[in-house]
Amino acid sequence: MFEFLFKYPGAVFQKGQFVLLASWPVWILALGVIAAAGLLLWHVRRNRGSLTGARPLVIWMLETAMIALLLFLLWHPAISIATLRPQQNVVAVLVDDSRSMAIQEGSQTRSAQAAAVLDNKLLAALGKKFQVRLYRFGKEAERMQKTSQLTASAPATRLGDSLQQVLAESSTLPLGAVVLLSDGADNSGGIDLDTISQIRQRRIPVHTIGFGREKAEKDIEITDAVLPVHALADSRLSALVTFRQYGYAGQKALVSVRDAGKVVASREVQLKADGAPQSEPLLFNAGLAGPKTLEISIDPLPGEENRNNNSLRRLVDVETRKPRILYMEGEPRWEFKFIRRAAEDDRSLQLASMLRTTQNKIYRQGFDDPHELEEGFPAKPEELFAFDGLIVGSAEANYFTQTQQDLIKEFANRRGGGILFLGGRFALAEGGYAHSPLAELLPVQVPDTKGTFHRDYSSFELTAQGRASLICRLLEDPERNAVRWTSMPQIANYNDVGEAKPGAIVLMDVLPAGRHRMPLLVTENYGRGRTAVFSTSGTWRWVMSQDHTDVTHKTFWQQLMRYLVSDSPSRVAASTPRAVLADETKVTLHAEVRDKAFKPVPNAVVEAHIVGPDGASTSVEMTPLPTGEGAYAADWSAEKPGSYVAEIVAGREKEELGRAIAIFRREDGVAENFHTAQNRELLGKLADETGGRYYSAANAGKLADEISYSEAGITTRETKDLWDMPAVFLLALLLRGSEWVLRRRWGVV
Amino acid sequence: MRRRLLIRGSLVAISVTALFALQATFREFPALEDDHVPVPPDAYEKTEWAFARLMYPSGKNASVFGRTGSWPTDYPKADRQFVQGVRRLTRIHTRSSEQVVDLDGDEVFNWPWLYAVEMGHSSFTDAQCAKLREYLLRGGFFMCDDFHGSGEWNVFLESIQRVFPDRPIVEIDNHDPIFHVLYDIGDRIQVPGIQYWYTGRIWEKDGKTPHWRAIYDDHGRVMVAICFNQDNGDAWEWADHPRYPERYTSQAYRMGINYIIYAMTH
Repeated sequence: MFEFLFKYPGAVFQKGQFVLLASWPVWILALGVIAAAGLLLWHVRRNRGSLTGARPLVIWMLETAMIALLLFLLWHPAISIATLRPQQNVVAVLVDDSRSMAIQEGSQTRSAQAAAVLDNKLLAALGKKFQVRLYRFGKEAERMQKTSQLTASAPATRLGDSLQQVLAESSTLPLGAVVLLSDGADNSGGIDLDTISQIRQRRIPVHTIGFGREKAEKDIEITDAVLPVHALADSRLSALVTFRQYGYAGQKALVSVRDAGKVVASREVQLKADGAPQSEPLLFNAGLAGPKTLEISIDPLPGEENRNNNSLRRLVDVETRKPRILYMEGEPRWEFKFIRRAAEDDRSLQLASMLRTTQNKIYRQGFDDPHELEEGFPAKPEELFAFDGLIVGSAEANYFTQTQQDLIKEFANRRGGGILFLGGRFALAEGGYAHSPLAELLPVQVPDTKGTFHRDYSSFELTAQGRASLICRLLEDPERNAVRWTSMPQIANYNDVGEAKPGAIVLMDVLPAGRHRMPLLVTENYGRGRTAVFSTSGTWRWVMSQDHTDVTHKTFWQQLMRYLVSDSPSRVAASTPRAVLADETKVTLHAEVRDKAFKPVPNAVVEAHIVGPDGASTSVEMTPLPTGEGAYAADWSAEKPGSYVAEIVAGREKEELGRAIAIFRREDGVAENFHTAQNRELLGKLADETGGRYYSAANAGKLADEISYSEAGITTRETKDLWDMPAVFLLALLLRGSEWVLRRRWGVV
Repeated sequence: MRRRLLIRGSLVAISVTALFALQATFREFPALEDDHVPVPPDAYEKTEWAFARLMYPSGKNASVFGRTGSWPTDYPKADRQFVQGVRRLTRIHTRSSEQVVDLDGDEVFNWPWLYAVEMGHSSFTDAQCAKLREYLLRGGFFMCDDFHGSGEWNVFLESIQRVFPDRPIVEIDNHDPIFHVLYDIGDRIQVPGIQYWYTGRIWEKDGKTPHWRAIYDDHGRVMVAICFNQDNGDAWEWADHPRYPERYTSQAYRMGINYIIYAMTH
């Protein structure tokens, strides 16, 4: 229809340049239109006869439009467009040969559909005008002679890499266009900007032909699972499992986490609407120390088309370290005792406490070395930074010297530790924190007043963020957990605090009788670390007012203390950009090395000892990165599929600075099972960005005609007249016809 | 006199309880002994710690104490005099007045440190035994004081073994933190009651050897601290009396403070 009305295909208008071929200047055209409009206005006003109101104006507009159209045609409008010269250009045809193309849809596989499109008409049509180079691709492109060489068995799809390879191979050829036949299921996360930029620089249009349904009829697929890379032994972990489904809305499905085949968490969920992303958290215990490969899965549902996308694996390094927390308490109180008890029951934590029993005496507990900190609260970075977390109890701000206050700030900022400030009669506003440098660390605005500590039993409640937080998760089921908190005994006391600072997260509010609610438990990130305020010292009532078998107090405090330290970095920290190498071998190991004062070490000797899935060990030296002092990296190739553990050891002269673990896993052929629906968005975007066009398999026949319009390769410029388009005559007829009909109706003919 | 005190204490208790329904506040009970001390002006202050005295029934063992039973022995002067020391010598936020609690309701759970005297005359009901057991297992601390000789020991044993039938009573080792948490009191002496004035003896009945015994929880923490053949209560009560030797009072204060700080740290 478009071509009937406008004479040429849409691509001509899309890619061509509009020109007026008449030699007269355009301003004369504009002047002519204005003059004609003026004359017609004068004429219509003078001869309006019985026409009243807006009717003369309508007649004037129709006549003016008609005159303007005629004048426009006199200026000879046309489209100037570059077209590929026949038989002088090369067209590269790339066919996706990955496993996802073997998916059967209807009576044919996607691969067979692509072969049929090419063999039936397209290859022959292209061959008449161009030299055609036929490729198949998976991880890389490979020349082929005919479509019968397609196997749909490549374990991965790398669209970007394959395109770059073809462009490089044809850099000396007059490549006029690329035709890409694929389902768009790319395993490398899409096509990077560099590749797009290279294609655009050479002005090569990439035309894409999409295969496969854009959504499955009956399928459930896990699209992601987010877990922490590192965890403390015995800690509670959350796996946020994201999935979507088609054809099972409203039904139930069982989501599970397995460690070495054993189910460690499972939950039945109700499935949301078709295609809607759905995220469900699953909580489980990290268990004993060591690297773990966890399988996150959804039990297959009846009639599922693809069951290979129902599970994926994630790696978690359950650390052997036992983080240490220093608890400085300014006065004996019940909270201290019960926090200590909670910590003593936690095998993965060590709580060292300093309690001011009298004005000048400090009672120390939980220190391995009886002489550690016997002189009092740390005054040197290496003393304080030996801990991973810090709890400041009911101690006035000025109990700490200026040096110690600076150290406490650096503890969170540079060392990356977690600091918890508790309520109490010498804490927060009562302890003069509002005017101290430590106020900056607090996630709440501390009022500049006294009388803010209240020994009144008070109710409290979780906020929405509190209900979602692992710190406050007493029971795995979120609903039951929320209900459990409503039956907790009141806290014995609280401190007034102001509003939470921007960026801070309020997990609990206190609801004092007859007063407005206030933040009770607030957390925030500070520098490399994190800080929190728990403005009470009255949770001991959770122990004394509940049965002795109840573990809510212990669980809460263990989780709060783990929050403080679980992300506190060691002096040597190791990481990899991606924990799962999907159909690739190259991995980059990163390490960050710091000394006892947590200052970067630029001259360390850093080695990675990597143990592969077959137990074979390799050592790689890591080199300093120019981007940052203390940062080191090494590239390595994982030759076999499976899990790898890299222990990174850093030293300086004869001193060992520390060691850390990074884990990663190479998986071959797994990613191809996911995202198997046609990625219409990716194919469409690739075509749009490069000046090509997306075609479905059904209308791919048009491609042979439209592909000629390209500025790459060897081209010639054509001018195509527009004055004789049927649409122009129709428009003229419409203008005159409308005027005639209106005049008849208004009786002025 | 006693009746007036009882009425006054009750009225105060009712009015204050109406204000703070969740935690009982100070209430004065009739004393046994004739050494009354006035109610301190800040008796109703809300503090972290208060001297909680256990009001227990003496039952069949109450004959020598009359209907009230033995629980108010040395009360309230010993309590109020001791807490002055706690206030002066430690950073514990301490109430100037004592808190009398029983085992019939749940009020005891608001006071995690508990003191009882003359336990050689105690006679708990089954429900009270269960309540005391639960209190201790939750984390409460119980200091028993002022009972002497094998006869009173047997009465105490009968009561406490109904609380913990399967937990042994052991001598506290000198190295236990309870003797070192604030004051090092590895070397201890027998602390006598005021009978020492009249008899010159530091022991009562056949209790010539002082014992510092305990019942521990599963984590090795003292739950019940038993001061047997000694009278720390009298040492606190008569601390200001010229005839009562300072060395006994001094140890009683240090011992009591150590027990409190231990209870707040272990």
